[in-house]
Amino acid sequence: MIRLEGVSKRFGAIEALKPLDLQIEDGEWLGVFGRNGCGKTSLLRILVGLSRPSSGEVLIDGKVPGDEDWRRFRRSLGFMPERISMFENLTAEKTLRYFARLKGTDPGKIPVLLERVGLAAAAKRRLAGYSKGMLQRVNLAQALLGDPRILVLDEPIEGLDSHGVGEFLDLLREVKDRTVVFSSHRLPLVSRLVDRICVLSDGSVKALGTEDELHRHLDLPVRVIIHPSPDSNGSLVEQLNELAAASVVSRNGRIVVNVSQREKMRFLVGLERLRGVHDVRIEEPSLEEVLLETS
Amino acid sequence: MRRADVVWTIAKKELSDRLRNHWVWTVSVLVLVSSLAIAFLGSAPVGVVGVTGSGAVMASIMNLSVYLVPLLALVMGAGAIIDEKKRGVLDLILSYPVSSGEYFLGTFVGYVFALSIALIASFVPTGVVLHWTSGIDIREYSLLLALVLGLGVAFLALSFLISILSRDHGRSVASSVLVWIVAVFVFDLVLVGVLVAYPGEIPTSAFGALLLLNPADVFRLLCFSWVGSAASPLGLATVAAPFNVAALTAVLTAWAVLPLLVSHRLFHRRLSMDKLV
Repeated sequence: MIRLEGVSKRFGAIEALKPLDLQIEDGEWLGVFGRNGCGKTSLLRILVGLSRPSSGEVLIDGKVPGDEDWRRFRRSLGFMPERISMFENLTAEKTLRYFARLKGTDPGKIPVLLERVGLAAAAKRRLAGYSKGMLQRVNLAQALLGDPRILVLDEPIEGLDSHGVGEFLDLLREVKDRTVVFSSHRLPLVSRLVDRICVLSDGSVKALGTEDELHRHLDLPVRVIIHPSPDSNGSLVEQLNELAAASVVSRNGRIVVNVSQREKMRFLVGLERLRGVHDVRIEEPSLEEVLLETS
Repeated sequence: MRRADVVWTIAKKELSDRLRNHWVWTVSVLVLVSSLAIAFLGSAPVGVVGVTGSGAVMASIMNLSVYLVPLLALVMGAGAIIDEKKRGVLDLILSYPVSSGEYFLGTFVGYVFALSIALIASFVPTGVVLHWTSGIDIREYSLLLALVLGLGVAFLALSFLISILSRDHGRSVASSVLVWIVAVFVFDLVLVGVLVAYPGEIPTSAFGALLLLNPADVFRLLCFSWVGSAASPLGLATVAAPFNVAALTAVLTAWAVLPLLVSHRLFHRRLSMDKLV
């Protein structure tokens, strides 16, 4: 278990992270979401020990790690940094051999790992000829060296096209049996992978919880789209205005009503009693809308 | 044992990267061609073309080394650390069970090996040719080569310091070239200016001490003191009081070790403060 207690980070006058508490359970997948500059990378760098917090502590399995503990922790850690130019002159196999020696893990398992990330056929080709997606697979493969129990991935799908994102997420699904901390500003794409979402904004945790908990926490309005029946005499808008304590907009022959989560049931029950309603469609706010609203 | 493995793994990777660098081999060939040219054409101004006496050849090669070896070392090391940080590789490696000290030492050792191979590749063929043609003493030439390596390592350590203090590769190269110009040209010119301005007023011991402030001059003094054939002091070394060889060796070693220790300290401090680059 990783626990952050009152962790903050300052760069001179800039407060990249305001004091925050966070607990990541063993085997949990945590998605860290936020706009660029919200403190995601600072948080992840502190998590992997690349950066010291300006205040607070990072506890690994309940204690502040010393030098030797950090070494042990790092052997059980896989990290994918946000920006990296891999060694263009080396092949994928030689790159992984280099990192395996640094980690002190068995290089004999590299062929299996390359197979796992779909690079077995290209293992002996220089990285200079690799596509962005293939380089991300090499990056993921180095993070998986030694079968770490914790994976920290900083913007792993950044720069990938939709096909590349799909392939990368499929790979991640195969390594699900471990703790994963995953940052992205495109988290809606990967929200189904994670157990909890931590929304950062201006260095603070704005929301933390499951997708459902975030919806409840934020109480964003539900959009009810009503198609009036042909014989509707035009009084429907007035009736809806009386029924809903929210905005009612008539547009292109449809009526759109924004209703709060708390008012939703009362509104729908009332809607059943109204005449002139041909069809009703309910749109829940998307996770992206929820997160953008928050961050 | 594990720590030594890490240092050696990083050193081998750096060595391999440096040896792929065409610039290193270009300078190495330049040193080779220049030293052979000096050996054959060194006496042209006095009407003799051909291999000259071994003493003059040794002195010429020593002078060539003072100009080219610091340049090779400084430009080679200009991208050390800073390039890896820019590429994101430094962050990745330090997320492994690797300390900043192990990374720093491994990188430096790799550079030292690469520089040594480049210098040996240019100096050894020259030495063989000169041994056959002008009969230079192999033992003395080997001693000169050892001092050349020491000079290179001292300037390599300075280049690491410059790299860590610089914000990007371009500035690091520019600062390295500036340091080279000061060490190889400006420093001695300033001292000559002082001698001319205050004739007879500066004691030779004080003057000798001033020469120790420049590793290029320490190398010259060591060559004059240690390598017999090059013992016809030229330039400013004639003004300085004679030095003990062990003391000069200690000073050249200090020129390699102190910048390295300071740069490691700065590297560690900047990493912990997230101020590197």
